Amino acid sequence: MSINSTLATWTGKSAYWFLHTFRGGGSSLPGKLALKLDPAILKHLAKNYDVIVITGTNGKTLTTALTVKVLHEQYPDILTNPSGSNMKQGIVTTFLTAPKAHHKPLAVLEVDEANVIMVTKYITPKAFVFTNIFRDQMDRYGEIYTTYQKILDGVALAPEATIIANGDLPLFHSKNLPNPMLFYGFDYQADHDQQAPANTDGLLCPNCQHILRYHSRTYSNMGKYFCPNCGFERPQLTWKLNALTSMTPTSSDFEINGQAMHLNIGGQYNIYNALAAFAVGRFMDVPAKQIAHALSANDEQVFGRQETFHVGDKDVTLILVKNPVGLNQVIQTISTDERPFSFAALLNANYADGIDTSWIWDGDFEKLPEMNIPAFISGGERYRDITFRLKVAGVTPEQLTVIPDLTNMTAAIQNLPTKQVYVVATYTAMLQLRKQLASQGIINGGMA
Amino acid sequence: MTYTLHAAHLYGDLMNTYGDIGNILAMGYYAKAVNATIDVDLVSLDDPFDPDKYDFVLFGGGQDYEQSIVSKDLQTKKAPLTRYIEDGGPFLAICGGFQMLGHYYIGANGEKIAGIGALDHYTLSQDNNRFIGNITIKNAETGQTYYGFENHNGMTFLGDGERPLGDVLQGHGNNGKDGSEGVIYKNTFGSYFHGPILARNEALAKRILKIALNRKYPDADFSALDQLTEDLTKNVDVKA
Repeated sequence: MSINSTLATWTGKSAYWFLHTFRGGGSSLPGKLALKLDPAILKHLAKNYDVIVITGTNGKTLTTALTVKVLHEQYPDILTNPSGSNMKQGIVTTFLTAPKAHHKPLAVLEVDEANVIMVTKYITPKAFVFTNIFRDQMDRYGEIYTTYQKILDGVALAPEATIIANGDLPLFHSKNLPNPMLFYGFDYQADHDQQAPANTDGLLCPNCQHILRYHSRTYSNMGKYFCPNCGFERPQLTWKLNALTSMTPTSSDFEINGQAMHLNIGGQYNIYNALAAFAVGRFMDVPAKQIAHALSANDEQVFGRQETFHVGDKDVTLILVKNPVGLNQVIQTISTDERPFSFAALLNANYADGIDTSWIWDGDFEKLPEMNIPAFISGGERYRDITFRLKVAGVTPEQLTVIPDLTNMTAAIQNLPTKQVYVVATYTAMLQLRKQLASQGIINGGMA
Repeated sequence: MTYTLHAAHLYGDLMNTYGDIGNILAMGYYAKAVNATIDVDLVSLDDPFDPDKYDFVLFGGGQDYEQSIVSKDLQTKKAPLTRYIEDGGPFLAICGGFQMLGHYYIGANGEKIAGIGALDHYTLSQDNNRFIGNITIKNAETGQTYYGFENHNGMTFLGDGERPLGDVLQGHGNNGKDGSEGVIYKNTFGSYFHGPILARNEALAKRILKIALNRKYPDADFSALDQLTEDLTKNVDVKA
């Protein structure tokens, strides 16, 4: 250990102790301080760990949490980073504050796409997991191809690490890499030749630039794709979802490689997250039965992204949305609810939301009027944009209440005609609403 | 009496990156107010473009890779698209679509990518910079102010026969230098505005819609459109 890294570690740990003790939090500051003293600190901190890096635009947090649960069946010491600490400083903080491990420990890290290289500069992971790449906050990173290239720039420093990738996404099969590659995907539907909807991203064949077609499709540009021109097609899947038994807004039942599974969360996208966790589990030799056991536990901490609370006699489900693919999955998921419900959409356009609101026009809001929803709320700082979006989708003025000021949200929710209420919100709109709810004692403070 | 407009969404499966489809959705919304509907065809790779069939064309922006593919296919549609534009067909071209109606643009790797030269502008690239952010412009002819979001590397320079869609009040516009944004040539409107432009700018949506309706139904009266105003604060709940 060099003097620099010793000093850096000590400084980081002291800063964490101070913040944790006197400020009730850790944040990325300890990592920032340690990095200042020793930019290569990660090499020193992580040297005893087997590291699994999970990256992609959507589903990183839940995939990481599910993977940790699955691996816990077999491995006692697993280090992981809290949601949101997925850039360099947060990752350094995670290692700095790790309890002392007794035998060769594992680290399962959620890593931001552009920060993969910050990790692989100092650590050679055992495996990478690629969840997906969709359009997300493009004002920050650019296009899907650029985002994938950023990940690959990091992967290039670890050519022996195994890549476990979503096989249903054509982009992940577009480049030949030296790494061993294993794929997971959906394979429960009979083949039926079809095209993706016109407004779908990433439909070009990477070999010959014709439009890809599908034998079966899940959502967005994912599925059993093939190119009618050159024969490019989905790779062989090592882990297959071979049956989809039932889906509700709060649970899913399915089979992976013949193993029955139950998941206490709705949404097809979450089944993809479970598939990824299953794949990592099998890759690390956790038996399929134990994986099913780990995934079926009802763990509120893990599934916290869909938060529920009560406003008066209303059951409210609050869901974060940040891009059209995520939004469409939410809309698809709530459509499986058989109870009557109302729908609220809150739109902000601050940096953390993505400052360009154009993406709402790529969302399937047109599906909402087909669901017999009696009442809608539109709101947030960009209430005009979301209000007009809902109107264009076919929501009538009589059904709609507009709430520019979120302090009026609780009253508006109480006036809704249904017991069940879904609220979708962009990141800072969600924070503002939570703050509002916390000040009224409806929820506890802090971010879920 | 009901009216029908036929719209072509050029390369809608490839040039669809920033909600540009919202332009057609917004136009369809206003069209309903005068008993008109808009049928949309996707016209993509290897599909012919029939200039006599369409009353409106939308050509959106895409990612660099998709745009380079579209540029090649677009050459096969050059003659009918040019004829449609010269005949005064209403056309809205956004971002990459706007660039490709001109002579050329410079791609991500510095290569010159051909447009169809139906309009007289050309587009250069900036080194490692994009114009990103909210933008406001003023249209000289109507005095109307338009709001949008720009996100582009390209710097477009208009030709002699082209007027800008507006003068930049805030933001960068076509090239960050001459204060122009977008283009108007006959009934073709080009812009870097996302938002989408017709969803956020009611006046412009109605202006283009009226051009399309009057061109197809010269004897009908669509002045009802002018009376219509979308009051987005109408249902604001102040009771709470």
